[in-house]
Amino acid sequence: MAMKEEAVTEILNGLKEAGINFVSLLPDSEFSKVQMKLLVDPDVKCVPVSNEGIGVGVCAGAWLSGKVPALLVPTSGLLVATWPLASICMLWGIPVVLIIPFRGDMGDAHWVMRTYQYTTRPALEMLQIPYRIVERISEVKEAIGAARRSASGWLHPQAVVLTGEVIF
Amino acid sequence: MKRFDCLKSLFSRMPDKVIVVGNVGDTTTLMLALRPSDANVYSVNLGSCTAVGLGVALALPHRRVVALDGDGNLLLNLAVLADIANQAPKNLSLLVQDNELYQSGGNVPSATAGLADLAGIAREAGIKNSRTVRDIGEFEATVNDILEGPGPLLVVAKIEKESERPQSPVAYNPTENKFRFVRYIERSEGVRILTLTQGSKIIL
Repeated sequence: MAMKEEAVTEILNGLKEAGINFVSLLPDSEFSKVQMKLLVDPDVKCVPVSNEGIGVGVCAGAWLSGKVPALLVPTSGLLVATWPLASICMLWGIPVVLIIPFRGDMGDAHWVMRTYQYTTRPALEMLQIPYRIVERISEVKEAIGAARRSASGWLHPQAVVLTGEVIF
Repeated sequence: MKRFDCLKSLFSRMPDKVIVVGNVGDTTTLMLALRPSDANVYSVNLGSCTAVGLGVALALPHRRVVALDGDGNLLLNLAVLADIANQAPKNLSLLVQDNELYQSGGNVPSATAGLADLAGIAREAGIKNSRTVRDIGEFEATVNDILEGPGPLLVVAKIEKESERPQSPVAYNPTENKFRFVRYIERSEGVRILTLTQGSKIIL
């Protein structure tokens, strides 16, 4: 798996055009191209964390304090993040945009990732997090913007799940 | 040291503008009793109090933020100490009220009743200014550091098990707390957090 440069650019531009100015992340193999650029981007406060649950808490605190946050969370990390997503974001109604590279989707050959084919959509549905699965690079920016609009308007997390030519 | 005395001492010297993020359980009850304020975030659930405090501190680096965590709550997510050390927010103080048990959960001992030393863990995670205080005199001597000293700072206050749990003076609701805190930040910081929409668009 090797993300195309064009996809990396579209994700970064999509975040900025959506007004997202605070990102928390945990590394995820090839998605690290996006993450490394965010770490040095002067327009976005980027907070690497040691587990995805911490990232949810950090994003929640940032939103309460005036930032527009996103959490870049791999499909495995989504499972780690379920408790704070439930106990903070669901319970309080805190809008965090989740950007999820869909490792484990059809097209991912790594056997380790197979589990996430079965867990990702049910986890989002269990958490009542609306999501859009994006396969085309040309649809990335619009999807991130849509997620931010609904998150802010509904005061509820939204997810953009990236697959197809965006990440593979 | 009694938790009540510890928090009363802290809150009596706390300026109005200090933001407090408190963990779920009796900490929130005492925050509501001793320092009711729209600058408080109450009742953050297990493992997330200090992480939420970190997010607030990073978003508002010019405001003092105090996270009031507990031993059981912090033990669930110790990695946050390493993340705080690396972010090194100068405006963040962590006060861990360590009664060595899950009092709100039925008094089962926590790991600090055994060998775990939270200040030691924090120090080795990179929060060099970490200490344990064991009586109210020691605690009072550290309050200025919590409120004004350079962060990140972690103070573990060893508190007694309480035979009677405090009673909340008001009915708490997280949604009300969220809106009151957000409106407070909008007023005090001159920012817009809750958006105005028109049709399907955000206009402000």
